Amino acid sequence: MRLITHNMLSCNIKGVTNGFPLKIEAEKVIEKEVDFNPDFLRHMFAKIEWKALAEAARSMGYAELPDDSPDAAVIESADETFLRKLHHALLELHLEEGALVCPETGRKFPVNKGIPNMLLHEDEV
Amino acid sequence: MKATLAPSSLISLPRHKVSSLRSPSLLIQSQRPSSALMTTMKTASRGSVAVTAAATSSVEALREGIAEFYNETSGLWEEIWGDHMHHGFYDPDSSVQLSDSGHREAQIRMIEESLRFAGVTEEEKKIKRVVDVGCGIGGSSRYIASKFGAECVGITLSPVQAKRANDLAAAQSLSHKVSFQVADALEQPFEDGMFDLVWSMESGEHMPDKAKFVKELVRVAAPGGRIIIVTWCHRNLSQGEEALQPWEQNLLDRICKTFYLPAWCSTSDYVNLLQSLSLQDIKCADWSENVAPFWPAVIRTALTWKGLVSLLRSGMKSIKGALTMPLMIEGYKKGD
Repeated sequence: MRLITHNMLSCNIKGVTNGFPLKIEAEKVIEKEVDFNPDFLRHMFAKIEWKALAEAARSMGYAELPDDSPDAAVIESADETFLRKLHHALLELHLEEGALVCPETGRKFPVNKGIPNMLLHEDEV
Repeated sequence: MKATLAPSSLISLPRHKVSSLRSPSLLIQSQRPSSALMTTMKTASRGSVAVTAAATSSVEALREGIAEFYNETSGLWEEIWGDHMHHGFYDPDSSVQLSDSGHREAQIRMIEESLRFAGVTEEEKKIKRVVDVGCGIGGSSRYIASKFGAECVGITLSPVQAKRANDLAAAQSLSHKVSFQVADALEQPFEDGMFDLVWSMESGEHMPDKAKFVKELVRVAAPGGRIIIVTWCHRNLSQGEEALQPWEQNLLDRICKTFYLPAWCSTSDYVNLLQSLSLQDIKCADWSENVAPFWPAVIRTALTWKGLVSLLRSGMKSIKGALTMPLMIEGYKKGD
């Protein structure tokens, strides 16, 4: 699971109002190189929940992202240093084994072989 | 005489008229109003919406059955049919003697026709985020992500499918755009209003609670976003009819048991649900004629040497699935 996906997942247990973002318990993180595509990143930037991304990246061992969302100017600039950091955090870090934890209930959703299992149990529905 | 079954149909409803629809099944597209006001949901308590599961444990059992079915059969399907696990779209008068690649093209055409029907064109840069509900091994997701340059996330009950879908995405250098997880379409793990396009290609058949299924589709759709559903339905019931004829129900039951399909509903049921959730621009159509060549083609591929050997290797669920296929054709034929 990459952080671009994590940025979209939330806990939907019945009654939970604060199910996003899920905390990450990382047991196995791997890095897979992906082609750098600045246009794609600029395109996506507006939709990213920044704080969630920065915190998630930290849990995966990558602390290069600022806590607060950068200005659009930084994203649009020709200098791609920052974009490369975003690229790395968003697309190249993979959680292979671990869990996603609901911030409100503490319920753990397992991640195995890179795939999160978000199925709820009967009593959570 | 009305057709009993009609997967992925397309009926164009004239705007302000309630027509008595001839055949079921549908492709529906609907748009969530752009205004931010989320109206309270009216109860959709009309007509014969699909039976909700009697007990929660049977819902769990269905969920597990679906997961296992696809865990076991996806590999075989992919080997013979490729990565799209839905009907092809054919011209109504086309010969069924198409080549294998002809059928795969038809499956791609199904996606294109669906997008076209919904008015979603390549120029629509508005499509940035897509959810593929019941994604199989990700054929639609990868196709749509490539086409629109959009981010696509797919959900399936089958861990085997999710893994395969991710692997295929990686192989096609699409990992940055598409990802797949195990999740329940009835409890989508996403915040409200997340997706510009909500895509359900022949997965609605598996949902035991159609009302809940539709509610979730609507919930995760962004204001101004689009929902496209291609699904199998039974024919609309006539006035005064409370249920399908016994022989029709019998035929359906046999199909359902093998493919882990809970009770079916009709096109009208879906339309009513969508209307009750205040969606706009609801369109539907009946594509029965356009998909009818599909099952005979599938059966023919199963009957080839490769098909038979693969079936025998892949286990009972696949074999039962293959034996049930003639029933699908029977369902189509019992019409005009």
